[in-house]
Amino acid sequence: MEETMDKANVKIYLGASSIRTCLGNKAETLTAMRNGESGLVYSDIYSMPVGIAECKESVEYTRFESLLLEQLHNVIAESGIDLTQDDSILIISTTKGNIDYLAKDCDNIPERAYLDVSAQLIAENLKCKNKPIIISNACISGVSAFVVARWLLVSGQYKHAIVAGCDALCEFITSGFASFKSISANPCKPYDATRDGLTLGEAAGAVLLTTEHGVSGNSVVCLAGGAISNDANHISGPSRTGDGLYYAINNAMNEAGVKSEDIGFVNTHGTATRYNDEMESKAIAWAELCDKPLNSLKGYIGHTLGASGVVETIISSEELKLGYIYGTKGYNESDTPHQLTISPNIQSFEKRCCVKTASGFGGCNAAIVLDMEQREISTAKKHIDSKVVAEYELPQSELPFAEFIRNEFKAIGESNMKFYKMSDMSKALYIAVEKLLSIEGFNETEPIRRAIVLANKSASLDADAIHQEILNKHLPEGASPAAFVYTLANVSAGEMCIRHKIQGDNTFFIEDQDSGLTEKYARSLIENDKVDVVLFGWCEYLKGIWNVNVKLLKSIQ
Amino acid sequence: MEQLVKELKEHLIEELNLEEITVEDIDTEAPLFGDGLGLDSIDALEIILILEKYYGVKLANSAEAKPAFYSVKTLAEYIMQNRK
Repeated sequence: MEETMDKANVKIYLGASSIRTCLGNKAETLTAMRNGESGLVYSDIYSMPVGIAECKESVEYTRFESLLLEQLHNVIAESGIDLTQDDSILIISTTKGNIDYLAKDCDNIPERAYLDVSAQLIAENLKCKNKPIIISNACISGVSAFVVARWLLVSGQYKHAIVAGCDALCEFITSGFASFKSISANPCKPYDATRDGLTLGEAAGAVLLTTEHGVSGNSVVCLAGGAISNDANHISGPSRTGDGLYYAINNAMNEAGVKSEDIGFVNTHGTATRYNDEMESKAIAWAELCDKPLNSLKGYIGHTLGASGVVETIISSEELKLGYIYGTKGYNESDTPHQLTISPNIQSFEKRCCVKTASGFGGCNAAIVLDMEQREISTAKKHIDSKVVAEYELPQSELPFAEFIRNEFKAIGESNMKFYKMSDMSKALYIAVEKLLSIEGFNETEPIRRAIVLANKSASLDADAIHQEILNKHLPEGASPAAFVYTLANVSAGEMCIRHKIQGDNTFFIEDQDSGLTEKYARSLIENDKVDVVLFGWCEYLKGIWNVNVKLLKSIQ
Repeated sequence: MEQLVKELKEHLIEELNLEEITVEDIDTEAPLFGDGLGLDSIDALEIILILEKYYGVKLANSAEAKPAFYSVKTLAEYIMQNRK
């Protein structure tokens, strides 16, 4: 261990940004929000209210790619920073990318349905020097992308990063949420006593993050801190205590060097499901932020999934500069366990610093702090080294996967009833992690000081194909929630969080092959004293073929 | 009723992936949720689908008929009263 200069002294500025929502471009979206206008309308196609973004279709690019490219070209044109240089990186946040391609063929999965293939096409269009980093972490993806971007810039690996998020709506997504009975028949009403579910929307957003103050124009909003946590409670149900989200908020505020009295406002996830909003109010209370003006933007633009963290962060940074926040559309009367400072109308705030949060399937939570104050953060800190203490690769087998994995499970001598309900990728990971931790365990490490960082190429395409096959049958009872819940790669990580009480960072990257990204990110988590132990590695399962290799990284004290 | 209980257990085992569990293993009157079978909120949603798929019984959510979700017995009774 050595004392070094803190690289966190590097400031990360938010520069040019662009969004496309169901309310229009950035200027149109902000104007509509100021006027209290929602873009959510009933759709005959999806049989539910949704927010549809206008998109210039092209022959060459899909709807998802076109929406992303529009924002990226805007940011590049406005900032003058492009991605052709060594020192710049593109970070893409999405939950499902071109998943509508799966409807064409579930057996031979079309190339375009792979997130890395789609990202590569975008990178080629923009002539990116570096391969884009893809984050698919359920509904926290966008906020996660800022946390990862902050690491890449603070550690000096790059000077500029463009964070871009998008998800395009399709039946794959709408039917899944419908099977969870979490869609409201009317435009959603975040935090309202009569709220009865969320409304889906589609959107895209992109924003430049840079370490150079000069190129960020007039903007003086800094990305001051960020953290990711896990409830380790349930893969789809929000925590009943709010502890996971509280940890993320608290750690993000600590990193930013701010206390609750420094915060001007909070922009939450606020999906308008009964349990999400209830959980958030508990976490906000723990963080002593109940008296801060708070809003959810979902009533205007819906829950935009992988775009939400990016789009809502961009809007929050605009609100920071304006000195007021937009009202919470749909909110009228509170019934959350803790009274929040929420209003259907515009609210002004004092301190030019805000917290943005998100929570998602897999039990994940994320929070970032945006700050306009030029705060000095402590300059000296511990620099902690780390070491891989165990490694396990799930062996290949002559047997079909189902038989192989059942034998492995029985050999462990366990009776966890949940195992058989899991997706095949989760089962493969489950066995590999059991074996890994039998070599060297988490021992006495606190849950919040444990992390899991995984990557693969196929995301959850194996589980996606199962959900799509059910949809293709057009059953009167609709989709299966038990199948849909696994259509997010990070849910497999979430299963490990529950099983082994991992409450620290949980991030899922998508890449064409293991580039060492998970190890680098894992080491940074220990180096920066965020956790003491990280389970990291490659977790791939698709159509009966697996490649699971996990390692345990520990701090050297 | 006895036939319905047996059939319902078979559907639960099949649709909820209760591997290693047989019809005999499921206590008709024991709570479905909690420790026993390890069922959770996703299973509750799947049970709603079972009711619709096999018995034409429609429910908006499991809270709508919470007492019916207590055990296999209460579920069977609910089906008897509401099936078409």
